[in-house]
Amino acid sequence: MDFDLTPEQEQIRKLAHDFADQEIAPGARERDRSMTFPHEVLKKMGPLGLLGGPVPEQYGGMGIDYISHAIITEEVGRADSSVRTTLSVQISLVELTILKFGTEEQKRTYLPKLCSGEWIGCFGLTEPGYGSDAAGLATTAVKDGNDWIVNGRKMWISNGGMSKLALVFARTDPSAPKAHGISAFLLERDQHPYDAPTIHGKLGLRSSNTSELVFDHVRVPDGQRLGELGQGFKIAMTALDGGRYSVAAGAVGIAQACIDASVAYAGQRKTFGKPIASYQLVQELIADMIVETEAARLLVYKAGHEKNAGRPSTRATSIAKLYAAEIASRCADRAIQVHGGYGFSDEFPVERYYRDARVNRLYEGTSQIQKLIIGRFATGIDAIA
Amino acid sequence: MKILVCAKQTPDSTVRVKVAPDGRSVDAAQITWAVSPYDEYAVEMALERKDADASTTVAVVSLGAARAKDSLRQALAMGCDEAILVSGPGAEALEGLGVAKALAAVAQEAKPDVVLCGRQASDDDQGLVGAALAEALGWPHVATVTKFAPADGGPAGSVNGIDVWKEVEGGHEVWRAPGPVVLTVQKSEKEPRYPSLPGIMKAKKKEIPEKDVASLGIGASLPKPEIVKMEPPAARGGGKIMKDGDAKRTAQELARLLREEAKVL
Repeated sequence: MDFDLTPEQEQIRKLAHDFADQEIAPGARERDRSMTFPHEVLKKMGPLGLLGGPVPEQYGGMGIDYISHAIITEEVGRADSSVRTTLSVQISLVELTILKFGTEEQKRTYLPKLCSGEWIGCFGLTEPGYGSDAAGLATTAVKDGNDWIVNGRKMWISNGGMSKLALVFARTDPSAPKAHGISAFLLERDQHPYDAPTIHGKLGLRSSNTSELVFDHVRVPDGQRLGELGQGFKIAMTALDGGRYSVAAGAVGIAQACIDASVAYAGQRKTFGKPIASYQLVQELIADMIVETEAARLLVYKAGHEKNAGRPSTRATSIAKLYAAEIASRCADRAIQVHGGYGFSDEFPVERYYRDARVNRLYEGTSQIQKLIIGRFATGIDAIA
Repeated sequence: MKILVCAKQTPDSTVRVKVAPDGRSVDAAQITWAVSPYDEYAVEMALERKDADASTTVAVVSLGAARAKDSLRQALAMGCDEAILVSGPGAEALEGLGVAKALAAVAQEAKPDVVLCGRQASDDDQGLVGAALAEALGWPHVATVTKFAPADGGPAGSVNGIDVWKEVEGGHEVWRAPGPVVLTVQKSEKEPRYPSLPGIMKAKKKEIPEKDVASLGIGASLPKPEIVKMEPPAARGGGKIMKDGDAKRTAQELARLLREEAKVL
């Protein structure tokens, strides 16, 4: 057992840390206020390899290990969860899913464009009527000669409006049991046009793009199908496993940002003639944040270790995602408490952390879904089968 | 063109250093280490030349403790081709001229067209090594450099002198030096680049050879001045808040204080 990072992992942390501090964090408040997608930041991340993650070098990625992947995701999440969301979708939901299930041609066509940031990808699973119950999805793909005709609507799709490529799940066999009749397709927006109206009025992730996807008789050649016919639900669950890992790491980033902001503020802010850091109740808030954040980080690394070893990691990932998402919200709440009234305004970043943290308990499987996965491993009984 | 960059590992400039209990050194336990900022500019300047001409090779050398390897790896990850560490007993204790002689031995073996050093290190601010290195090599030296390029003319691939841009009061000058030359760097054209992930992965595979400082034949060490006392800067006094609501009177009072008390006007 070794808790030390390798020299390369340390170097990657330094790169991601410096980049996050110098290139991402300074514009985060303004992008959040104006709800501006972070194009300029992403343009700088691509050439540094920060959008290629664990994808092997021959497909334009960096071939880094999963701990390094978590380190980058945490550091980006520490600076701006909106940028981190784009990164999580791009790498974990789209790139790694194409890597695992794509044909050689699909991998060579799409992965280099995605890893470089030239193309933004999105992941279309959730629908207006089907969130946690993804297997019930209503979008259809009907065979027409050698093509498929896709009809339906997707909801809450991160990156949707900015995407050039959508990984879309549709029902291809209505007669099969619901999880077995779904297939996955790769839709190029230019070739297989879909609409992506932006969803406004979000509590957090305000500079991230969230949209619907609308498919109105979109014709897609069979060559755009990802994986086997009827394998779509399995592909989606595998993808979400990767996505949860990334969300967990990003949530640890928010929690760390809450600690950093609170320690700095508590050292400067004086009440009754003393810095508030000298009060025991303030130190308690900070200590609680630190303990939970360190525990969450170790859970993420544990899941990453399983992934590096090539072992099944669903359970470890769900544990990490559940815990990191929950504590990120708690830490943000405490950070506002440390900041007092100033924490309630966007003069300080903690109110943004509070708003951005909230979605981690919802997307890539709610906290309740994570508990059901963990419970299923413990009892052998699937509560939602 | 062949470039050799000399890079010293110093405490990271973002770290607040503390004086150790002995009162004459810094507390090493609190320190994270990094390439000295002016040396980082030198690395960037070398890599800018490599960007302009892909046939350029950049080697980087550091002299000091084994941990300096981390900084060399950082330089490799930024895009340098090779790195050399000069280490071993006595390396850290060498005084400026001894460091220059050791680096000269490395330069004589590497045969670069240009040696780049930062204008001074961020720990001792002595600014000695670059000039002393030129002296030890018997090569010309140009200081406060902001850019360099091979001079025009001469057969392709050869280095027919080096044009050097140098910052001077109110502008810049362009000097031409016959190669090989030692340049001490003021600032690169761009801010030092981030090491990229591909760079980090490539650097991971590279060996960093270590040279024992004792094998370089630099002769007896010179007498070295020693630090007898280190003091942190005095704590800053509290600021003054001017509470008079009248803007004109406040501005007049502020101007008076800046001129008479702070003496900055």
